[in-house]
Amino acid sequence: MTALYVLDVPENTGIATVAAEDPAVSVGRIGPYFEITASGAITIDRRATGCRHAVWYSAVAGLPRDSRITQHDKNALRVEPA
Amino acid sequence: MTSLDHRVKGVDHAAFPTFDPAGTVHFYRDVLGFPVVHSICAVGWGPEDHPDFIHFFFDIGDGDRIAFFYYFGAEAFNQTGRGDAYAGFGPEVPLYFIRSRHLAIHVDSYEDLMEYRRRLDASRWPVEMQIQHETIESIYTHDPNGYLVEITRAMRPVTPAEDLDANLTIDALLDVVAEPGPSLAKLLARKAELIVERAAQWELAPAGDEGRP
Repeated sequence: MTALYVLDVPENTGIATVAAEDPAVSVGRIGPYFEITASGAITIDRRATGCRHAVWYSAVAGLPRDSRITQHDKNALRVEPA
Repeated sequence: MTSLDHRVKGVDHAAFPTFDPAGTVHFYRDVLGFPVVHSICAVGWGPEDHPDFIHFFFDIGDGDRIAFFYYFGAEAFNQTGRGDAYAGFGPEVPLYFIRSRHLAIHVDSYEDLMEYRRRLDASRWPVEMQIQHETIESIYTHDPNGYLVEITRAMRPVTPAEDLDANLTIDALLDVVAEPGPSLAKLLARKAELIVERAAQWELAPAGDEGRP
């Protein structure tokens, strides 16, 4: 299982919306956080989210130890099983 | 979180040395329009080598103040060409570090931010950067002493959820820096554990109790 947590604030809603467009990805909640999960990799396109850079590079709130970030640049955020 | 009651009332004054009192007064009083609200002229006393000095204050809003020391007869100590009136840095120190220390002054609206932008842009100290950060928008310039000054406005109010998140971040940080080789990846892993432990309950927490486990 791959997962990441993103705080539910207005600047981050596009991240959850874009993540949920992938049928292999589930977006749930834990408290005020989006819990974004998949059995495999999770890839989120930055431009599709509409996030400006300051928001994009600070959007990940938590990453379980069985997941790792393999890409986090101006194009995309990619999380894969560790 | 702390259980101690919170009694302080903001910034009384933040003080900096200056070797350019004319530029300093021109920048803060005449360009930005910050009123002079206090000054002390004193002969050097205490340590024998203490020069005569003047300590002068500008109002930065809500009664908060920025203050300067000007020491008569003293020459600037920083001759490195990098840094500011307080500190110099060699070429081994990266710019991101030199630029990290700054004073940010709050305004209430975009219109107020742009008013200060107009004042600065018409002066010898024009705005160097205007940036939308995560939830604030800021303009920056360096004052005549080389101090980085930011003026900033909130683009929206901070939510209670962000206070919770900040507290989880700091608790995760304390755990991570207690171990060798702290890193952002280790912090995010520890924070994920804290989110699972604490965040689910948080929605059930009564108002005013945000962030408590």
